[in-house]
Order: sequence, then C-alpha cells, then structure tokens
Amino acid sequence: MKQLNNIDMLTNHWKIAYRSLVKNKFFTTLNIVGLAAGLTCFLLIMLYVTNELRYDRYHENADRIYRINVDIVMGGTELNLAVASDPMGELLKKDYPEIEEYTRIYNSSGAKMIKKGSAFLNEPKVAHVDSTYFDVFSAKAVAGDLKHALDEPNTVVLSRSMAEKYFGTTDVIGKNLETNENGSTLYKITGVMEDVPKQSHYRPDFLFAMENCGYQFGQILSHNFQTYLLLKTGANPASLEAKFPGYIMRHVLPVAQQEMQIKSIEEFEQSGNKLQYSLTALTDIHLHSNRFPELAVNGNIQYVYIFSAVALFILLIACINFMNLATARSANRAREVGIRKVLGSGKGALVKQFLTESTLLAYVSIGIALLCAVLLLPLFNELSGKQFVIRDLFTPGSVSIYLLLPLLVGLLAGTYPAFFLSAFQPLQVLKSKFSTGSSKAGLRSTLVVVQFVTSIILIVGTIIIYRQLNYIQTRNIGFNKEQVLVINNTYTLDTQKEGFRNEIMKLSGVTGSTYSGFIPVAESARTDRTFSTQATMTSSSGLNMQIWGIDENYIPLLGMEMKYGRNFSKEFGTDSSAIIINETTAALMGLDNPVGKKLYAGNNGGTTEPYTIIGVVKNFHFESMKQQIGPVAFWLKPADWSIAFKVNTSQIKALLSQIEGVWNKMAPGMPFEYSFLDESFSRMYEAEQRVGQLALSFAILTILIACLGLFGLAAFMAEQRNKEIGVRKVLGATVQQIVSLLTRDFLKLVGIAALIAFPLAWYAMNKWLENFAFKTSLGWWVFLLAGCIAALIALLTVGGQAIKAAITNPIKSLRSE
Amino acid sequence: MIKLEHISKWVNQGNNRIFLLKDINLGIEDGEFVSIMGPSGSGKSTLLNVIGMLDTADEGSYQFYEQPVHTMKEKQRSQLYKQHIGFVFQAYHLIDELTVYENIETPLLYQDTKSSERKALVADMLDRFNIVGKKDLFPAQLSGGQQQLVGIARALIAKPKLILADEPTGNLNSKQGEEIMDIFTQLNKEDGVTIIQVTHSEKNAAYSNRIIHLLDGRIEHNR
Repeated sequence: MKQLNNIDMLTNHWKIAYRSLVKNKFFTTLNIVGLAAGLTCFLLIMLYVTNELRYDRYHENADRIYRINVDIVMGGTELNLAVASDPMGELLKKDYPEIEEYTRIYNSSGAKMIKKGSAFLNEPKVAHVDSTYFDVFSAKAVAGDLKHALDEPNTVVLSRSMAEKYFGTTDVIGKNLETNENGSTLYKITGVMEDVPKQSHYRPDFLFAMENCGYQFGQILSHNFQTYLLLKTGANPASLEAKFPGYIMRHVLPVAQQEMQIKSIEEFEQSGNKLQYSLTALTDIHLHSNRFPELAVNGNIQYVYIFSAVALFILLIACINFMNLATARSANRAREVGIRKVLGSGKGALVKQFLTESTLLAYVSIGIALLCAVLLLPLFNELSGKQFVIRDLFTPGSVSIYLLLPLLVGLLAGTYPAFFLSAFQPLQVLKSKFSTGSSKAGLRSTLVVVQFVTSIILIVGTIIIYRQLNYIQTRNIGFNKEQVLVINNTYTLDTQKEGFRNEIMKLSGVTGSTYSGFIPVAESARTDRTFSTQATMTSSSGLNMQIWGIDENYIPLLGMEMKYGRNFSKEFGTDSSAIIINETTAALMGLDNPVGKKLYAGNNGGTTEPYTIIGVVKNFHFESMKQQIGPVAFWLKPADWSIAFKVNTSQIKALLSQIEGVWNKMAPGMPFEYSFLDESFSRMYEAEQRVGQLALSFAILTILIACLGLFGLAAFMAEQRNKEIGVRKVLGATVQQIVSLLTRDFLKLVGIAALIAFPLAWYAMNKWLENFAFKTSLGWWVFLLAGCIAALIALLTVGGQAIKAAITNPIKSLRSE
Repeated sequence: MIKLEHISKWVNQGNNRIFLLKDINLGIEDGEFVSIMGPSGSGKSTLLNVIGMLDTADEGSYQFYEQPVHTMKEKQRSQLYKQHIGFVFQAYHLIDELTVYENIETPLLYQDTKSSERKALVADMLDRFNIVGKKDLFPAQLSGGQQQLVGIARALIAKPKLILADEPTGNLNSKQGEEIMDIFTQLNKEDGVTIIQVTHSEKNAAYSNRIIHLLDGRIEHNR
C-alpha cells in the first residue's frame, strides 16, 4: 500500500511539475533554453575531450609500448627529438632483458609517388617499418598474415581504403605496387590492414619493408628513426630510462670520441652540451608529446583541461540560471508550499516535488540539447578539426550519461530551490504579504556575479587570442609571404628543371623564380648540420644550425634583407664555398659583423670543410612564433625539390591552369601540387585560430546563457517591484529615474564580477601567451573593453525590462492590490 | 477537546513587549460551533493559528485531546493536525495547478490513503457539494463561492474532528456567504464536526452556539 501511494505521489508530483511549467511559459522557456544551450555545449565538449583522451588505447599492448626520445644540446641549440638512431633499438634489446621487442618507423623522405594505371599519385602517409611492426602495434588484418608480411624486402602492407583506391578490391595479395623510387621500384603486396583508427597518433596508409628505405644504417649519432619499445609485462619504464646513460657510455661515446673529439661525457656536459634519452608512453604521445618530428599533428593536454573546465563552467552557469529563476519565482510558489504544508505535507515530500520539477526540466533540456548537438555536429567538426558522426554521440556509454546527467543536473540545480522553498513557514506565506524580493537577493546576486566572472574571463580570453593572431599576421616576419606560389615535387622534372622554369617565366604575371626545397614555413623541409668556428671540430667550437641550399634568386624573391655583406651572385665564381648566415648565428658566434670569417662544416668521420661568410641576412621567422628564431645559414647548393614563383595573383586561376599545362607536358603522369606561401604561413597557426574560434563561440554562449538568466531575473524583479514603481511614479519619479533604479543593482554586480575576473583572466592569458616567444602585450584596455562589453550586454538585457516596467501606467499596478 | 491555559504570545519591539495574545484560558468541547470575533488586530487569527498548530504560543499550555501540544516538536504537531484538523481560508488557498478533483484529493495523498478509497472519498465529496461537473476545472475557472466550496470539501476529505475557518466568507457576496454558513451548520449538527470560525460579521456569528470576543489579545466575552 505504501508503495502504491508513493507512485501516486510521484504522479501527482509530475502532474504539478508539468502544469506549473506549462503555466509559466516564459520562465520555463528561459530555463529550458538556458539549460539546453549549456548541455549542448557540455555534450559537444565532452565528445571532444573523451575523444582526445582515448588515443592509441586500442593497441592490445598499449600500456607496454614506449617511444624513445632524445634531447640534444649542442653548440647553443637545443633539439627535442622524437626519433632515435638506427642501431639503438637493437642495442637496447640486446642489453636489457625487460625489452620484449622494438620496431622502427622511417619516413624522412616524406611522400612517395605511387602508380595507378599510367599516372603517379602522391601519397603522403607512407613509411618504411621493421618487420616487427605488427608485433608491437595492433592492426586488424583484411588479407594476408601481417606478422610476417614485411619479413622480406620489397614487400608492402596497405590499408583497406588504399587497396580499394588503387585496385578496387582488397583481394590484392601477391599483386605489385609500383613507386617512383630510383625511377621505378616494385613492391609485392603481402598484407592488407583495416584503416588505422582515427584515434591514433600515427595513421599510415602504406607500410614498406625497412630494407628498401635507402638509409645508410649504422649511424649511432644520427637520429632519424621513430623507435618504439615493447616492454615485458611488469617492466618499469622509469628504471629502464635510468639505464640509458649506460647505453651512452657503452655505445655512443666511443663513436663520438672518434668523430667529434669528445673526450668524456663530463667534458661534453661541462661545455654546456647535453645528450639525454627518455621514454614517452604510447598513450601519452597524442596529448603530451611536443617534439620533432611528430608523425602527425598532436593534441594538447592544456586544451583538454581548458575545454573541460569551460564545459563544466557553462553547465554550472546554466544550473545557476535554473536556481536563480526558481528561487526568484518562489513568491509564486510559496503559497502553494503553505497550502501543502497545512494540508499535511512534510518537508520531504515538498523537496521531492521540487526536485521532480527540476529533473523534468533537465530531461526536456537534454532532449533538446541532443537534437542541437546533432544539428551542430558539422559546425563543431569544423571548429574542433575532428570528424565526429552522429553515431559518436550515441555510444552505450554516452547514452547512459544522457540518462544520468539530467538527474544530476536536476538535483544540482533543484536542490537549493527545493530546500529554500520547502522551508517556508505556512503561516507567513499564507498571510499573502509574503515578499521574496529582497530576502534571498544576496544569494541571487552572488550567483549572477559568478556568471559574469566567467563571461568576462572568456571575453578577455577571446580578445587576447585574436590580438595575438593579429600580431602574428601583421608582425614583420623578415620576408614577404604574399604572392609567392610554391610548386612541389619538382625533382620529378628530372633534367627538365631549367626548361620548366624558363617556360613558366615566359607566362605573364610571373615575375621571379627560385629553386629551393627550404621555405620559411614550418611544414617545409629542414636540414641541420654541425659547423665549427675552427678548422677542427671540438665540443666547444661546435654550432648546430639549419643549413639550407638556395639559389641566387631566393633572398630577393622572398624580400629578405641583408644586414651586412651581399647575396650570392653568379658574378663570383667562388660562391660555391660561400655561406650566408642569419643574425642569430652571428650572435651565437659572438660577432656583430662576421663577414669574411670562416665556418667549417663537420663531416662524418671528424673532417671539416671551410666556408666563407659573405653576408648576414636579417632575422626572419622560419618556424612558428612559439619559438625563438634559431641559427640558420644558406649555401649555394641545389635543393630543387620545389620551386617558388613570384606571381601576380589577380588572375591566379588562369595562371595556375597555364602552369599546370606546362607541368603535364614536362612531367607527364606526375601530380601537380602547389601551395601559396601566405596560406602555408597561416596554417602554422591553425591550432591557435581554432582555439580563438572556440573561445569566441564559448564566450558568446556563456554570455547568452548568463543573459537569459539575467533577463528572467530582471523581469521578475520588475514584477516584484511593480507596486513600488507605481507608488514612486505617483510621487513624481520620471521614467529615467525608475530605469536607473532597476538597472543600477545589476550593473553593480557586473562591476564586482569584473573586479574578480580581471586578475584571473590576466593570470590565465599570461600563461597562454607564455607559449609564444613572440607575443602581444596584455594591455589594460583589453580588460576595460571586456568589462564594458559585459556591462553593455547586461544593460541591454535588463534595460528593456526596466523600461517596460517604468512606462506602465501606475494605476494598473496599484489597483491590483 | 481543546484546553488552553494561560496562553500568551508576544513580539518584542525595542524594549516593549507587545502582546498578541495575553493569558488566554479557553476550553472547547467536541461538537461545538464557536465564533471568534473582535476588531482588527485583536488577535483573532493568531488565536486560530495557535489552535490550528500552525503557530506556537510563547507561554502557557495547550492540550488537544489531552495531548500536550505545547511540548511537541513540529513534526509531531504536523502529524496531529493533519489527522484531526481541516482548514478553510478567506482566500481559499487552492493549488492553482491542480484541478478541483486533485485539490480535494491532495490531503489524502499525504495520509497514505489507498487509491480506491481515495476515489470513493473524493467522489462522495464532489457529490455532496454538487460539484461533480466541475471536477476537471482549475480554480481559476471557478467563482469565489465555488472555490470556497472546494476549499471546504478539501478541508473535510480527511474526516477531521475540527474545522478551523479564518473569515471563510470574507471574499464572498452575501448569498454565497449564507450557503457556506448553512454547510457549516449542517456539518456541525449532522456530522458532529467541531467548528471554530473567525468572523467580522454578526450575521455569521449568529450561526454558532458560542461567541468569543477578543480585544487586544484578551478574551473580553465568552458566552
């Protein structure tokens, strides 16, 4: 019987909840819209965050796989590499029994041309790997025995979609794949794997046998191979890391002594140098690794934290809205509470009733939020750079969250109003002189302040992110990135390179050209080498720097400026042994004007070649502005795998098709790939632009939700003070006076919120800007602007309500008593 | 049924103690129909609320069926009044979100009455007050007199021994007021329900068999 009645009571609760919600359409709508907006945002961000956190977990041995890193400091430059030397894996496995297996990935050559029919296609996601690759990493086989697929040279494993792209079927075992290496190389297909899951730090399409990579093996000082160790179960990676100095002593030092005249580790370290190996867990690579070269663009744990915090805050703000509106409306509900208590209701039953109401609202809101999330998914994909599909929103885990979350939100947002309302004394509220206009205004004010603190922090954040992006775009980067067209893969032109250049130069709108594979944007090729200021290489004279092969046209075409000396010139026959350095290099050498001095390029085996410095080029940004400008030098050597043209971009479509026509004639079957330098430059800051857009969206959303709540509160406040306003008007108050009376309090709250938000925002944005070596300033006006925006929005929200209340004829409000 | 001894209630204003009720001694037997009268501010409603256990006295003892109400905790008091007392208000105090039927049913929900029994009781009550046809309407759709009928029906549904009515006809016209008074008389005579009402109107007071006059928190007449 008790059970039965509980159900009846619950139906009664639902019924009242439903009717009360329907009756107060205005507040209900405000509440649902606010909560649904908050939940939509929460759902989408959670989708993103859980996705980021689940990278590489699908590998069976995910918790036992570690990548070797190396940190090198040499001659003043620091390198944080994600690669190891080619013999290192094997040597470690031999020395340390806790290593079960190792495997290496080599893709220094970048893309490969693969033949389909009669034409070659450019495939960027290729690598040469050890035959142990599938012993370490997990992959689903579509065809073939993956574990032994790469045992022989000239074998290849490809992904399902590549098999379908090239052959139209996955039944391709035993067929040949042709690449353009050394003109033409044939690989036998020995395995087909399912496409690598999206949540992988590396998603190769083609895995070639290691024997064909064309690398001169046995270079213990050159770090070029991503090397992964599979530890035995129970092995401790930290204690393995602690053994790496032993590896250096046994294997690296003897070679370094011979080639670099390094006598001992102590001497090497005393001159400010460093060589240190470490491990990164496979599952940490995506979010925690920021080294060179990464196999793909990684995520950033900082952003995961920031977005999680934002998601929680937005949800909190939406809950606060709910609490605010519910308690504000308590005057209307107070009478009901009084009656119910007189009729014999206990406090518990009332609490349950109000919680039912808030939970009902939360369930309606999550329904709407899910719908919104589905509709916004394409937009969110664009913002986040992910490719979520609707099914990702409805995994078994997330569905159970959708069922539980509203309960939690309902309880969170409903508890305070429930206890607040149910504590009313019936006698007081039934006397009908009950007023909540001011009794709990303190708490409501606090909640409004919390909302605006969050809003203002997000506004400041958005402004500063965009300011930094603007700073990057407008900063003098040391070269002219506009109107430069870069065409890649020019090595496929073979002997026709000069012919191609001459043909293109004849086209109208093309004003200059330079052959160089080294372009000053992060995605371009890089080569570094150790130079010495003395004829013999010692650890104190060594200077590790970028060395780029260019031609005479490079510096003028890119608009770089010479600080001292001159550019390379055909008039000087001796320029093949000349070198141009940047300002950083000069500074590292300790010389202001080193023109005429010599630099010695170190060779394997310890010999050096002399180069004469003929000029110093002014510093230019060739990496992201997160990094300081490092030492770089140019020499006159062919690096002709890409060519840059200075073009007039007003007729660019027509010009491009003309250039493609020439290309197809001179490099038949080879893919025509081009990029614009300014676009490549912008791509370096894609992550920042994305964060800026996200911050902007979140800021708008937060303000929107906060304003919904404020709007409701203002409407309620005006209603509550209806009589007071009437009396004041009868006594002669003007509309302006009434409006300012009603808005003043809210503006005060925004002011308090600003005072709390400014130091928090300042701290947070200072931290963010620390990511950049070159950054904008945190001007005080940013804070002033953010505060004004918040105040203005609050004023607009509240002002409408205030004006409405102020222009009402006072007779109306006074008669109703 | 009710025995009040030396009941006083006051508020402090600065150093002055203002008495709302002062040394009230009052006994009410089962089956009585009592009216409490007096000018505004004389303490009528306060006395009614103390009797109804919605309010407590600062001093004195209150026995309800020999149980000492003045020593009880709020929960016990609530338990006691929800069993024995029905309330009727001047402003009706119906729940706007509930229909006539649901309003009348609500007290039973709080007393864990079985569903079938509830249906029967509510149906009886609707029948008795001739409001069967209005059972699905909401309070806002009723006239004042009809709302007060529902209020009385709700007060009676749990079969209370005592009805407390605070100016039950205060918001009604005279014809509606007479109807309500007739119902009270009938309840008192035929069902033996004890009724205590607060009223300004001599006409309404005439329906009762005892009138208590209050002035400044004291009982002036008790006849």
